[in-house]
Amino acid sequence: MLMCRDLAEIASDYIDGELSARQNLSVKMHLMMCQDCRTFIGNLRASTRLMQAHSSGHPDEELLRRIDERISEALKTRRTRDNDEE
Amino acid sequence: MDTAVHPDIEGSLIEALKQGDSTAYKKAVRGYSPGMLAVARFYLDHSSAEEIVQDCWVTVIDAIHKFEGRSGLKTWLHRIVANRCKNKLRSSKREVATDFSEGLEPELAERFNATGRWDVPPKLKFHESADTLMENGALSDCLDKHLSALPETQRSALMLYEAHQHKSEDVCNILDVSASNLRVLLHRARQKIFLMVETFQETGEC
Ligand SMILES: [Zn+2]
Repeated sequence: MLMCRDLAEIASDYIDGELSARQNLSVKMHLMMCQDCRTFIGNLRASTRLMQAHSSGHPDEELLRRIDERISEALKTRRTRDNDEE
Repeated sequence: MDTAVHPDIEGSLIEALKQGDSTAYKKAVRGYSPGMLAVARFYLDHSSAEEIVQDCWVTVIDAIHKFEGRSGLKTWLHRIVANRCKNKLRSSKREVATDFSEGLEPELAERFNATGRWDVPPKLKFHESADTLMENGALSDCLDKHLSALPETQRSALMLYEAHQHKSEDVCNILDVSASNLRVLLHRARQKIFLMVETFQETGEC
C-alpha cells in the first residue's frame, strides 16, 4: 500500500504526469482517502504555479547595456568586412 | 514569467537578426538573456556567467546565418550558452555535481512517522491562484530570497523548466543531466518552495 511518505516522494512526478498508469492509480486511490495528502498535493501544485508566475534572476540594466554595446560594435565590424568583400 | 517572444513573431525577429537590425538585437537581448543567464549560472559563478552571455551574443551575429529553425530560437541560444560553459569548465577541469539520491527534503521527511503517515501534516491550504499569491509583495521578496539560496543546480533546472517553460527533454540536453536527476532536482526545489510558502502563511515571516 502506498503510504503518505511514498506519495510525497513521487508528488512532482504525479503533478507533471510522469507516473506510470499503475502508480498514477495508486496515488489517486490514496488521495481519495487522505485529506492531508490532498492538501499537500494542492499546496505543492500552488508552489509550482508560484514559480511559473515569478520572474527572477533578471539581468540588470547594466549588463544589458554592455551587451548592446558589444553587439553594435560587432555589427559595425561585420558591415565593414562585408563592404570590403564586395 | 518568460519574456521570450511568441513563436508567431519569432520568424520575423530571426529575419531581422540576420539583417543585422540593431533594434531587433536589443529586443532579443532583453527577451532571451534571462534564460541564457539561468543556463550559464548552472555551470558558473555570477561574473563568469555574465561574461559568457555577453560573448555568446557576439557569436550569435555570425551564427544566426546558420540557424535553420529546427529548434526554437530560445533552445538554440541556450545550447550555445551551455556548450560554451562546458568548454570553459573542461579547460579549468571543474566538475558539476548533480547527483541526488534522496527524493525528500530532510525538513519534509521529518514530518512522517515510522509507518509512513503524516506526523505533522500540512496545516493550511495555500491560496489557489498564483497571481493572488504574487500580489503579496512580501511573499514575492521572500521567494526571491529563497530562490537565490537554492543550490545553483536546482535553481537553474527550476528556472528553465518552470519559468522558461522548457520541455524536460530540452532541459536535460542543455544542462547535461539525466532525466531521473532532473526529476529529483525539480522535486527538491518545489519542496523547498512549498516549505517556504507554508512558513510564510503560518507566521507571516520569511
Ligand atoms: Zn496520505
